[in-house]
This record gives sequence, C-alpha cells and structure tokens, in this order.
Amino acid sequence: MSNHWTDRLSEYLDRELAVADMAEADRHLASCAECRATLAELREVRSRARQLAARSPGTDLWPAIAAAIGAEPAVRSAEVRPIRSRRRYAFSMPQLAAAGIALAALSGAGVWLATTGAPGAPLAVSPAPDAPAGAQDVPLQAASLRAAATYAAAIGDLEAVLADGRSQLDASTIRVIETNLALIDSAIAEAERAIAADPANAYLNSHLARTMQRKLDLLRRAATLATTRS
Amino acid sequence: MTTPTRGVRALRFEPARQRANADAVEAALAAAGDAHAFERLYRAHVGRIHSLARRMLSEDEADEITQDVFVRAWQKLGTFRGDSAFGTWLHRLAVNVMLARRSELGTRRSRYYDTDEPLGELASRPTAPEDSMDFEEALQRLPDGARQVFVLHDVEGYRHEEIAEMLGLVVGTSKSQLHRARMALRRHLER
Repeated sequence: MSNHWTDRLSEYLDRELAVADMAEADRHLASCAECRATLAELREVRSRARQLAARSPGTDLWPAIAAAIGAEPAVRSAEVRPIRSRRRYAFSMPQLAAAGIALAALSGAGVWLATTGAPGAPLAVSPAPDAPAGAQDVPLQAASLRAAATYAAAIGDLEAVLADGRSQLDASTIRVIETNLALIDSAIAEAERAIAADPANAYLNSHLARTMQRKLDLLRRAATLATTRS
Repeated sequence: MTTPTRGVRALRFEPARQRANADAVEAALAAAGDAHAFERLYRAHVGRIHSLARRMLSEDEADEITQDVFVRAWQKLGTFRGDSAFGTWLHRLAVNVMLARRSELGTRRSRYYDTDEPLGELASRPTAPEDSMDFEEALQRLPDGARQVFVLHDVEGYRHEEIAEMLGLVVGTSKSQLHRARMALRRHLER
C-alpha cells in the first residue's frame, strides 16, 4: 500500500494539511477503505502515545543527586546509589594513604574549629548546607581565619588525591564534581572578599566555615565514591 | 439538562494549578539553597523525567541521565523566573540535556537519514497477537530520529516547529519522521 495520501495521513490526522488538501483527502478517504483502516491505526498509535504513563526509576536516585549537589542525603550512606559508570577504578595505596591523611586533617580541623572559640561563644560549623541563612550563625571571631587556613590545607590534600585519580573516574562524574567545586569555590572567594572588608562580621565568618565544610563534604563523598567502585 | 462545564473544568485544573504553585514555592526555596525543597521537587517530577529519558535514550541510560538532569536543574535554578511552570522549565531542560547526551554519543545510533533497517524490521514483523510486543518496547526499536520526534510530538506534546528547532531539522523532516514512526508502531498495537 503506497499512494500519495498514505504518506500524508499523519498530517491529515493532526489537521496540518491546507484546507484544500484536507478536502481532497476527505474525498480520497471516502473511496479508499485501505487508507481509512490505516488512518484508524495511526489514530490509535497517537492515542496510545498520549496514554503512556510516567514511571519512576526502580531505585531512588536522590541520594546520588544529593551527594552531587553537596546536600546531606536523607538516607543512610549504605543506601546511596552512586552515579553509574561502566568503568571500574580504584585508588592506589599511596593515594588511599594520602586520602586517609587528608580525612584525618579534616577531622582535626573540625575538632579544632569546635574547641577554639572565644570564651562564652562555642564554635560550631553547620553540617547542613541547606540551613536557612543565619539560622545557625555562631561567631567564629578571629579564630575562623586560622580555621579557614586549616580547612584550606585539608582541602588541598583531598584535591590532590582526586587529581591523581582523575583518569580513573568516568567523564560524567568528573563533570559533576568539577562543576560543583567551581560553584563552591566561587562562594568561598566571595565570602573571603567580604570578610576582608568586614573581618569582625560573625555571619560572614560562619558562612565561610559552612561553605568550606560543604566543599569538604563534597570532596569526601567524591573520594568515597571512587574508592568504593570496584 | 445543563452541563456543569465550568465546575468540571475547575475541578480538573485545580490540582495542576496547586502543583504549579507549590512547585514555584519549592523552586524559590531551592534556589536559595534549600536542598530539602529541591528533594521535594525531585520526588514530584522524577517519574516524568525518567520516563522521558527511557524513551528518548534507553533504559540503560535513564538513571544516569536523570541524575544529570536534576544536578543541572539545581545548578540552573537561579535562571528559573517563574515565567512558566517549574515542570515545564524542568522538562525543557531535560530535553536539552538528553539531546546533548545524544550528540556526545556521536552517530553510533543516529539514523535520521542513512538507513531504514530497524524501522523496516519493525514494519515487517508478524502482527499476530502472540507476536505483538509491548508498545514501549516497540518504541525503543525505532531509529533514533523517528523515536525522538515521536516521543516529543505524540508523547510529550511538542509542536513540529519546536521539535525542528530542538533537533536541528526542518519542519518537513520532523513530520516525515513522525509518520514513519507511527506507521511502524501501528503494527505493534495490542490486538
């Protein structure tokens, strides 16, 4: 079956033919049972397409998305399903050792931050990147600048680990990590500029600490993701 | 007897309006950094985005591309101005991400013009009930070009002009691809 009108039945069905062509198609269809049958089938296909239901993925993708955007996952880490890759990769022992040193430094930085505040003003770094601005502001005073330096050193170590393992990570994972790191770096630079102009501003100091904590969390997740994919 | 058209219409569209309003609030919170608000948006829209990915690309790629879409959405929330519903904005972003992914994968599965083999295979299959395949499965067997146009037009409701712009085609090609897809799929309707 093939004729001029067969090839235009979808346009007829969607009423996209010119008025004169629609009229001519009507006349043809009145006398061609085969084209009428085809048209009915095309209409049924279109109807079926419109009825196709949305279906959620078989597994929850949110934990991996939360990790990628630097948010705290709402589920236990064991349930996290990382962004899938067909490639396999693992860090070498020296890299793992470096990661361990870096994570130890991070822990030290966290403890140091939490215990070296000004008298009467306990220090804390909010672990929740989505906390409303100002909701957990705690003055960090001048200590925050030294804390920031410690954070920066720990971040540098983890960045070095990831740089070494870059060739073993899949492209989409690297893209997500780098994009998020760039966003966080931009926020850190902005906070540092603001603090330079207003060093005693408690909110800015707290904001900088939270942002650096967010970067640490992202780097830590990225390293964990890489080392557990094997 | 009068038909309560206005009442029916109001009942039909009220949930959609409420959804859009709720999304707008969640999007504003998410743009301010509230990841919990963004998770609620994810829960509300993941089914449609994942289904789009499954149909535009493949079952195997759907999880990864869905994650990419939501990460991109998080990064671009600042560009969402509320001119359209959040779902519309997200869906368009998802289509762009998926088309970009298709481009990254190159011409391995791109068959807009070069061969009709998969389509011919579909069209020539027996149509007895025992040989009929699931409509979604038949959709997956279409060549990329015909499948993408079919999904965007018949499933998602885009117009040929929009599809042509998104896919870099002329409108006539979009129409012919749609017709080819429908002609192939009609043999795989459940009978």
